[in-house]
Amino acid sequence: MNKVENAIAISNLTKTYGKNRGVSGISLEVKKGDIFGFLGPNGAGKSTTIRSMLGMLKFQEGTIKILQMDAVKQQKEILRKVGYMPSETMFYPSMRAKDVIRFAAKARDLDCTQEADRICQLLEVNMDKRIEELSLGNRKKVSIVCAMQHKPELLILDEPTSGLDPLMQEAFFKLILEYNSQGTTCFLSSHVLSEVKKYCKNAAIIKEGKIIRVDSVENLSKSNLRRVRIWEDGQEKAFSYTGEMKKLIGELEGRNIEDLLIEEPSLDELFMHYYEQEAHEEERV
Amino acid sequence: MTLLRHEIKMNLKSLLIWTVCVGFTCFGCILLYHSIEEDMSEMAGAFSQMGSFSTALGMDRISISTMEGYYATEIALIFAVGGAMFAAMTGAVILSKEEEGHTSEFLNTLPFGRGYIVLWKYVAVVLLILLFDAICICWCGLGFAGAGSTIPAKEFWLFHGAQLLMHLEIGSICFLISAISKRKQIGTALGLAVLLYVMDLMCRIVPDIECLKYVTPYYFSNATDIFVESTLNSSMAGISIGVTILCAVLAAGIYRRRDLAA
Repeated sequence: MNKVENAIAISNLTKTYGKNRGVSGISLEVKKGDIFGFLGPNGAGKSTTIRSMLGMLKFQEGTIKILQMDAVKQQKEILRKVGYMPSETMFYPSMRAKDVIRFAAKARDLDCTQEADRICQLLEVNMDKRIEELSLGNRKKVSIVCAMQHKPELLILDEPTSGLDPLMQEAFFKLILEYNSQGTTCFLSSHVLSEVKKYCKNAAIIKEGKIIRVDSVENLSKSNLRRVRIWEDGQEKAFSYTGEMKKLIGELEGRNIEDLLIEEPSLDELFMHYYEQEAHEEERV
Repeated sequence: MTLLRHEIKMNLKSLLIWTVCVGFTCFGCILLYHSIEEDMSEMAGAFSQMGSFSTALGMDRISISTMEGYYATEIALIFAVGGAMFAAMTGAVILSKEEEGHTSEFLNTLPFGRGYIVLWKYVAVVLLILLFDAICICWCGLGFAGAGSTIPAKEFWLFHGAQLLMHLEIGSICFLISAISKRKQIGTALGLAVLLYVMDLMCRIVPDIECLKYVTPYYFSNATDIFVESTLNSSMAGISIGVTILCAVLAAGIYRRRDLAA
């Protein structure tokens, strides 16, 4: 059986900002063709990891390989094959959208007019407007075109949907799936768990600069954590339960329970669960 | 070349404003010469005997009543300080504007590489200074044609050659500042251009601080010295070229190694 190559391989990445924490000992592998979710709240180290991958930050320890190339030594070659969409999209205010898109294509010595026009039509981008006249959502759309017009092998998306309306979010993910079906690997950094659950195959959870879990989204969603809702004496009570079901039933026996609902937790709850679990483990250590 | 074209396009408005301001002022002042020529002749003697003031402005060595003297003491000053301010401002913002305007992430994730970015941004600074000097020289030429006067060509070109070196040096020092900063240091840049000019004035008056002549590039590119001596101090010009190269190399080294803000 052929082994699938890694699109991203990060080993023991450590980046500090003076005395402040950045990320510490991050190791991560993303297979080619995957849509990989990178989950964590603000300040967890998602952008630091991404910006180290792209050569914006000079990290102290570790190695990063993107498409089998060294992120430090072969930065230019990597950027040629990567499409990046930053979380805070800013372009030169006085330039028109079409000029920004053309500038990004020229930087790659490519004529991407056809693909750029297609994406612009799909996302309803007004190409003639100046950047300073565009709203955050419309600037995001220009950023999507800049990241995708050259049909990259790897798409790195840092909180891509913030500022996009639901319709545009749907159109955006349709594009992601289309590119992915053509072989593009997607690395999606987000704190919106529902979009990770819906579109990603695998995901990593980062907390305070450290990876606390890497697994398939399916496995991450599987847990012995359950959301329990009981109706007792006319009142509704809800709590999370981790443990043997026999023990839970034993505890509920003899109580005046009118109704009972035991359900799988949402990804948000699981995310919090992993966070709490990690905190307990740290306390124990 | 993509980045060079982009930078020239982005700086075109500023170049036009500065060349019109400085160049047109030089042009206007040259045209004014004949209408104030008589008064100048009467005042030339007084101007040359004003002690330190005359020494600082070189009016003790060249007569303000001639077009040559008028150009060396009045017009050259506008050209030198105006050009230095433009060079300082251009150099100081060209790299740091990306981080202040949050466009650094966009630019640095295009497949240029930091070495390419710093090289072509520096080329853009040099080209903008060259264009500024060339356009202002054209304005001066138009002024001479309009006034129907001439000045010695050798000294004129020596002076403008020295001015170009001076502007490039100040532009390069500010380019280095830009490579270090995350914010546009316009105030620092303009302050530096003026401070170096004041240094030139001071070291001409106070013998104890004469050594400052090696620090300020206004000294070797002084119009009066060039028009009187018909030569350029080559060792000082050499220092200026050395500082220019050193600043450009340091800027490239620092910019390639440091963390960039989004």
